Amino acid sequence: MLTCATPFLNWRWLPLLCLVGWLPLLASADTLRVLSWPGYADADLVKAFEARTGSQVSITFIDSDEALWERVNQNQGQDFDVLAVNTAELQRYIQAALVGPIDTAQVPNTARQLPRFRQLGSISGLVHQGRVYGVPYTYAEMGLIYDRQQIKAPPSSVTALWDPRYRGKVLLYNSSSHNFSLAAQSLGHSNPFQLGTGQWPAAVDRLIALRRNALGFYTQPDESVQLFRQKRAALMLANYGSQQLQLLRSAGVDVGYAIPKEGALAWLDIWAVTRQTKNAALAHAWINFLLEPAPSQALVARQGLANTVAEPPYLHPKDRMVWLEPVENSLRRQQLWERIYSGDRVARVLAP
Amino acid sequence: MKWGLAARLGSVLALVSLLMAGMTGLYAYQVARDLLVQAAKDELMTATHVIARRVSDIRQDASRDLQLLARYPASLALLQGPPSSQGSQAEQLSTLFELMMRDNPAYFQMRLISASDYGLERVRVDRDGDNLLRVQGDDLQEKSHYPYVSDTLHLPAGSTYLSRIVINHERGAHAGLGQPTVLLASPVTNARGQALGVIVINMDLKGAFNRLASDLPAEFKLFLANQQGDFLIHPDNSKTFGFDTGRRVLMQDEFPATRALVEGQVSQVMLEANAGTHASTPMVAAFMANQIRVTSSDSAIFLGLAQPRSSVLNRSHALGLTILQIAGGLGLAGFALALLLARWVTRPLNTMSKAVAAFSTAQPIVGLPLSRQDEIGQLARSFDHMQQQIHQQFTELQANRQELEHLARFDALTGLPNRRLLMERLDNALERAKRTQTPLAVMFIDMDHFKAINDRWGHDAGDAALQWVARQLLEHTRKTDTVARLGGDEFVVLLDSPVPVDQLASIAQKLLDGMREPWFFEGHLCNIEFSIGISLYPQDGDTVDALLSSADAAMYRVKTASRNDFGFALQR
Repeated sequence: MLTCATPFLNWRWLPLLCLVGWLPLLASADTLRVLSWPGYADADLVKAFEARTGSQVSITFIDSDEALWERVNQNQGQDFDVLAVNTAELQRYIQAALVGPIDTAQVPNTARQLPRFRQLGSISGLVHQGRVYGVPYTYAEMGLIYDRQQIKAPPSSVTALWDPRYRGKVLLYNSSSHNFSLAAQSLGHSNPFQLGTGQWPAAVDRLIALRRNALGFYTQPDESVQLFRQKRAALMLANYGSQQLQLLRSAGVDVGYAIPKEGALAWLDIWAVTRQTKNAALAHAWINFLLEPAPSQALVARQGLANTVAEPPYLHPKDRMVWLEPVENSLRRQQLWERIYSGDRVARVLAP
Repeated sequence: MKWGLAARLGSVLALVSLLMAGMTGLYAYQVARDLLVQAAKDELMTATHVIARRVSDIRQDASRDLQLLARYPASLALLQGPPSSQGSQAEQLSTLFELMMRDNPAYFQMRLISASDYGLERVRVDRDGDNLLRVQGDDLQEKSHYPYVSDTLHLPAGSTYLSRIVINHERGAHAGLGQPTVLLASPVTNARGQALGVIVINMDLKGAFNRLASDLPAEFKLFLANQQGDFLIHPDNSKTFGFDTGRRVLMQDEFPATRALVEGQVSQVMLEANAGTHASTPMVAAFMANQIRVTSSDSAIFLGLAQPRSSVLNRSHALGLTILQIAGGLGLAGFALALLLARWVTRPLNTMSKAVAAFSTAQPIVGLPLSRQDEIGQLARSFDHMQQQIHQQFTELQANRQELEHLARFDALTGLPNRRLLMERLDNALERAKRTQTPLAVMFIDMDHFKAINDRWGHDAGDAALQWVARQLLEHTRKTDTVARLGGDEFVVLLDSPVPVDQLASIAQKLLDGMREPWFFEGHLCNIEFSIGISLYPQDGDTVDALLSSADAAMYRVKTASRNDFGFALQR
């Protein structure tokens, strides 16, 4: 769900996808084989890259994490040179030795990136045993959207979602993993993705309290906008981030956007190079190219996605992102969340 | 094979008749089929309307139940009364819920939910298999975050809330868990109009619709979609509630014609689906919007009924067969008629053609259809007339020819064979004589003083004299002999059958004697004499010319010697 590139899935990509699916067969030394999400490698940008490097780029588009994993695994990563993947997903690629370390010296444009994307060590999962496995490319964060008529000062913390002043006016996203992470953040846990054994009851309590404060839960961006407007919500956890912000603003709602001080949960897509790449230099050149102003700007202008070289207008440089990581036990989170969402009280939620 | 006029005319007429019958049949079949499909669509639409009406009825029944429960004193008493009496009130309500749920198999669950305590359920009865289950204690859940609670609490007393149709994921919902569900709710208000709680009925959507659909013919397929077009009921269960599993399956994608319905441009649509999944079995379908007039997050749902086009068309098969039979019969009748017509037209023509083919001078044309009053009769009469003309002209021609032939071989004046015929007979006689080694005699006769007769009595007298001579010569020769006039006053007698040489002289004498008979011309006695030269084969020549010139020479000798005598070519 969180790989929000999914909305870019469009069947019009399908013929292209089929076509480019064959192209790797024709790959030569001067061919770069890219596995990308739609919108990350527009044709004009690809042409510019080809013209500059005198190479051929063959793009294969995927539309889900599962498809990406399947593609790369198909031939132990031999079919591709470079791929876009989110940080949480990246872990299993590293463990399966499908992707190799990146030589950041060959990607000088990382110097253009915002400081928080240059401190690779602080982005969980990017660095393993001192080696860098990905270059951040684009991201979406789950900030707080608030009605400026009802809330004068921007909320500064995720705890605003629990604020009794907004009881029955808080819109939440119906997701087990994120909501537990959110509860952990509100409880001040340093790693919201790893709940310790003793931390579960508190988290459950916290989520029951969140539910009691909720106006309702949504799953789709459009649904959230409709609920926000019709039920005059005051505060909303924006799972789709800026996308929802734009939708609400274009619907004429006077909303603000805030990143809580605990950091906004966010997915981050990075470029990684396969271990079996036949042209590592070209793969690095590709990553470097995409960090240039034109491709970075295209990402914002065309796809409504944030890039890593400039702050989006609604974010501040100090805003913290908490990049998603695999959670300790997604099944347990899901089971407990279903009970909480159904309206069970704490005794029933924690019952075996 | 040669195509006669009959074959051609017959086949063209037969083709035309078959074509006409075929076209008429096809057109009739198509019209009938379209009518059938249209009728099926109308039928589907009517059935859809009936279903929609019954859906409304079900909703209204549920609404009535809700109102009854919302106004039921125990409901309000339980929500605002002292805790001491709540036990018996809950008992009353539970019993009432159970009674209603037994009565109405489509009710999954009935609840009284309080506005306080985060929407805590106060009384709840779940259906669990065949049993009804009172849910109590810790199993009661808080529901204030569900729109059916929060929205209903904002409604005025007596109104009904209708939820979106969703899959029920509320854990502990027993039979209703994971099932397509629609919730109906009404507020329970106190005297001041404050909503203290809500009565909620969970309805089993699938069960309700299955019961509705059970009255429909088996091949009818029921479809239900929400306001956005997401399928809620579909013959293929995997296509329902796609939004619940993250893959939306939309009515307007499967049936593009329903897009106008979803966009609110029309309230009903009839369509034929024959693309995509319906390519193999095209469907005829009717869809309609069912406007929801109570408070709901969806303002409409879409109901549809479809049936395979083939089942509609099955009905047209019998019709098609009948039409085919009629068209076939008509076609055959037309075919036969065409053949008859062709025969009728061509038979007289054939008769005429045969009659004309058999036409000859000897045999006049018979069997022409002269009495017919039509074009063929006219043609026959023309033939007949032509034939008569031809016959007449032919007869004349024949006569002319005979006359010409006669003229060519006979002397016009005397009627004797002329030189040409004589030469032929001489040739033949000579041939025969040579073959049979028999003698042959030729007498060359020239009249004496013929010029004197002409000069004295005119040419008419000359002609008459010649005629008389000819008669006399014929009279005094045998039938087998040839008496010919060579021209002028010269005659030749060919004695064909063998005559003893010694008798020749007597024959010649007989001829000369014949001239002694008196002959008168216009009363004048004329004396006619002639000289005869005789030549013989083989003595005097073995060719015609030699024989003739020998005889001629002999005749001259006589003429110079004495006249009125005869002489042999060979003096013996």
